[in-house]
Amino acid sequence: MPIVSRPDFLPGLPKWSRKTLFALALFGICFAFAFPVLWLILTSLRPESGVYYVHRGTEFTLASFAEVLTDDRIVSAFLNSALISTLATIFSLLVTVSSGYMLSRFTGPASRIWFGTIYVFRCIPYISWVLPLYFVTQSWGLYDTYTGLLLPHVAVHICFFSWLMKGFFDGIDPSMEYAAMIDGCTRWGAFIRVAIPSALPAISALAVLCWLFTWNEFLFALILTGNRVPMITVVMAQFVTEMGLRWNLMAATAVMALVPAFLVALFGQKYVIRGLRI
Amino acid sequence: MAAISLSKLNKHYGSLFHAVKDVDLEISDKEFVALVGPSGCGKSTTLRMIAGLEDISSGDIRIGNRVVNDLPPRDRDIAMVFQNYALYQHMSVYDNLAFGLRNKKTSEAEIKAAIDRAANMLGLHELLARKPKQLSGGQQQRVALGRCIVRNPEVFLFDEPLSNLDAKLRAQMRIEIKRLHAAIPTTSVFVTHDQVEAMTLGDRVVIMRDGRVQQVGTPLQVYGKPANKFVAGFIGAPAMNFVSVTVRSDGGATTVEADGLKLAVGGADARALAAYHDKPVIMGARPEHLALGEGAPGASFDAHVEVVEQLGSEILLETRVGSHGITVARVPAETVIARGDQVRVSAQPGRLHFFDPETELPITG
Repeated sequence: MPIVSRPDFLPGLPKWSRKTLFALALFGICFAFAFPVLWLILTSLRPESGVYYVHRGTEFTLASFAEVLTDDRIVSAFLNSALISTLATIFSLLVTVSSGYMLSRFTGPASRIWFGTIYVFRCIPYISWVLPLYFVTQSWGLYDTYTGLLLPHVAVHICFFSWLMKGFFDGIDPSMEYAAMIDGCTRWGAFIRVAIPSALPAISALAVLCWLFTWNEFLFALILTGNRVPMITVVMAQFVTEMGLRWNLMAATAVMALVPAFLVALFGQKYVIRGLRI
Repeated sequence: MAAISLSKLNKHYGSLFHAVKDVDLEISDKEFVALVGPSGCGKSTTLRMIAGLEDISSGDIRIGNRVVNDLPPRDRDIAMVFQNYALYQHMSVYDNLAFGLRNKKTSEAEIKAAIDRAANMLGLHELLARKPKQLSGGQQQRVALGRCIVRNPEVFLFDEPLSNLDAKLRAQMRIEIKRLHAAIPTTSVFVTHDQVEAMTLGDRVVIMRDGRVQQVGTPLQVYGKPANKFVAGFIGAPAMNFVSVTVRSDGGATTVEADGLKLAVGGADARALAAYHDKPVIMGARPEHLALGEGAPGASFDAHVEVVEQLGSEILLETRVGSHGITVARVPAETVIARGDQVRVSAQPGRLHFFDPETELPITG
């Protein structure tokens, strides 16, 4: 039932004014979220001299985009981000799906220990992982490599998303898997052929979340990479130089970085909503 | 050919919970056995142990000639119907039915023939292309039955398959299952908490409580000669009335007395109760063995009507006799009776049950 027709939503007002209020509130919320993005897009389209008067100027240009796109470092940062996001999603899903399944279906000591481990790691503030990870990647010779960035990401995904996955599997009736086991499947067979297909909407949702998480991630990328594996979020921030702030270039990069994330979110949205509802 | 034999079967969950205690049960080939009991009595756990979905703590399970204790479910040649249907949601009905056979590497032609047969039997033809989500509860359960039939297993296991259906559908499916068992006689174990299902479906009924088997017998046996007070109260609807009475004998006649109640007891009952002279016993009277009006001499008592339940075909009366509530069933529907009326109730001679108050075992010889 839509909120506006609920009798307990501002009961004193007539229906049309309830509708108006509701629409205004929605508009306000949307505006609050969309305004920075709008400003960002405007900034990216302004010449460098105009970035401080975004709201006043009438001069628009695509020069910033052209400059950004011809910069090898930025282009390779895009590719790196896309590659690492995709790989991290694939690897972490492989682990998360089975670990979430284990947490949901098995109650033995192994499951309890795993649950406890994840819990402890989740409780540690994200930022306090960074420095130890820096030293570890340094001493293992993984600093500024794909692996050195991929592994921590996968680890974070496992900790954060195993719980979500457990929740999804909790919502799926296990007797389907029992039926499969009686119908000739092994325990693994029941998991792969029955549990996973039933969880597919949830897994798709998780894939979207994983991908966006890594694409948007800044801290690990900043500390664990140098010049060889630049990530888009880091490169974007590097327009802050001692020579001054290159707002227009930063905005152009940001707009471009927004596009893949926007597309993933757009196409993934139906899975995310369906998946989170399971 | 598959008889099932459970011997000294036990299930412990950790050290605290002993779910199934020393269950011994012989189920013969093609027999339909219903396991019934209140929730938590261990009936489902027993079934799941037969299926191999639950480990056995101790004891043996045989299906046919094989001890199956350590066999995984897929090697036990069984099929199971679950309470919530457990259909594979991402597959069509046809693929659901074919799943087991495909795992056995059966040829598609044979699979199709088997599914055709099952679909005929259960009227599933129009549903074959649909997904389980597009089916009603009753249809889903029929598909689940079909999935069992096509595999042609040695044993059918049913885990409360009718509990999620509404009353009317439940009665229909009960008949369908009965018909199915007549058409394809297969050893079947049916778990339910509904004694009506157990009585109507089972060749024999196994009543369980707190992990122990209370009685095994045909429906008539468990109804007529309950092994203890629990079985007497569990089997039969409405449930048996229990009244704590004291045994008296004046001269040659034995009577049982309670607050507001004095009934003459004769024959075998009187002989059995001789040992309980002046002691309390528990008297059990089924509501359907009580009737309105003056019966045999010494078999009637006065009751105060508290609730009148008109069922159309009969009336159920909740009455008060002294401090005891007593239900009377089978009162003709046309009887003019109202709350607050005083009525005369008579017990059918020889249909009373007596139980020892401590052991709860029947006294009646």
